[in-house]
Amino acid sequence: MSVPLKLIYHEEPTRSIDNDPRKAVIKPIVTYSNISKSYGDLHVLKNIDLNIAPGEKVALIGPSGSGKTTLARLLMTLEEPTSGTIEVDGEMLWHQRVKDKLVKANEKHLHQVRGNIGMVFQHFNLFPHMTILRNVMEAPRNVLGLSKEEAKQRAVTMLEQVGLAGKIDAYPAQLSGGQKQRVAIARALVMRPKVMLFDEPTSALDPELVGEVLEVIKAIAAEGEMAMLLITHEMEFARDVADRVLFFDQGRIIEQGPPKKIFNNPESERLQTFLSRFNRH
Amino acid sequence: MWSWEYTLEILPEILAALKITISATFVAFAVALVVGLILTLARRSAFKPLSLFAHGFVEFVRNTPLLVQLYFIFYVLPEHGLSLSPFVAGVVGLGLHYSTYLSEVYRGGIESIPPGQWEAAKALNFSPIDTWRKIILPQSIPPVIPVLGNYLITMFKETPVLSAITLVEIMQTAKMLGSHSFRYLEAFTIVGVMFLILSYSSSLMVRRLEVRLNLR
Repeated sequence: MSVPLKLIYHEEPTRSIDNDPRKAVIKPIVTYSNISKSYGDLHVLKNIDLNIAPGEKVALIGPSGSGKTTLARLLMTLEEPTSGTIEVDGEMLWHQRVKDKLVKANEKHLHQVRGNIGMVFQHFNLFPHMTILRNVMEAPRNVLGLSKEEAKQRAVTMLEQVGLAGKIDAYPAQLSGGQKQRVAIARALVMRPKVMLFDEPTSALDPELVGEVLEVIKAIAAEGEMAMLLITHEMEFARDVADRVLFFDQGRIIEQGPPKKIFNNPESERLQTFLSRFNRH
Repeated sequence: MWSWEYTLEILPEILAALKITISATFVAFAVALVVGLILTLARRSAFKPLSLFAHGFVEFVRNTPLLVQLYFIFYVLPEHGLSLSPFVAGVVGLGLHYSTYLSEVYRGGIESIPPGQWEAAKALNFSPIDTWRKIILPQSIPPVIPVLGNYLITMFKETPVLSAITLVEIMQTAKMLGSHSFRYLEAFTIVGVMFLILSYSSSLMVRRLEVRLNLR
């Protein structure tokens, strides 16, 4: 499966910013401030502070159940934080200011801020009743209000980029897992989000299909403008694509830094143990 | 004794009344389809008074007899200034009654949609209305079409109850023919046979539809 885009590998972290907001020189595109999320007694995220710079590629690694996915789902407004705030491009996501008081955001506000975010899911979540083309053009048409022709053109361009221009009239059930995920990527990208979330995009794929999806994501990352949050168990991929790697465990960021440091000189014992499981082969 | 001569004599009149029965069935079914969907959506509404009202309406209608509801619409409402013809009262009553059953059918279809579809719709920033219109309903209705078809047949067989509010449909016609000639055997037999033929052939069609939908 060939991908028409040239791939550029990041040698050095370029866009990473310090996690301390006072030192940040670039205005972050996403800011998590003291974010916690719990389900009853289960604390999935504990007081997370995190800044993501515009265009920054952040990889989230860590054992399953460590809170990585929840972090992304809070940003996509699929789940509501228990406490703390999230800002997207300078705007509160879950809250809005009414007469100097922070109140819960209404659907209109959420809709407006959510437009900056896109997400690719582990299980693709394509719309099975629509052709590939309609899967990709339906949101530009209905949400962005583009004309049919414009939406179609944008969708076709996007599908060409992920190498699936030949499949526009197929239905999702007729595609392989790797192809489905590439459609899902095109469907999210066509909305031109400022931040893209990838929630274990290759975990549900047969091993031989993982490569084609990672290639596509790398090619998108190389274009540079979009910030990306990559939740992945593919360490080599994280090393190649990310400006910064965050290691999660038990709802906290245990360690973070440029991929070289995280993978070559892990400091914490937990990260060392975690990585040793991947280095065996 | 069965008289073929008499049978042929009354057949045209019964067939003419069958038209009323069939149109009452389809109009009532259309009412049930639309109101049923509205009830389903209202029951899921985040606006509590609306969902409570819809819940209450469904329980009330399902737990009172159709005949009582029809009498109420046809005989009681005129006292409060709303007079309906037997046909209109009949299709409203039958339609509303079955809307509560169809509402359950829709609900089943909607609940079978995986959460990932809702999440994808939200991630693409679809408005709630577009999410229903473009993503959820187009996936939840086709699988329940056979069940809806079976309800259409059930409603068809239920139409004789409309004779109670003086709608001259097939049953009422048979009764009138019987009381004129004092011969009931032929008229009611014809009615029964007609219901049998139409219901059975329709149920065969629904079954074929089901097979075709399963193949997709």
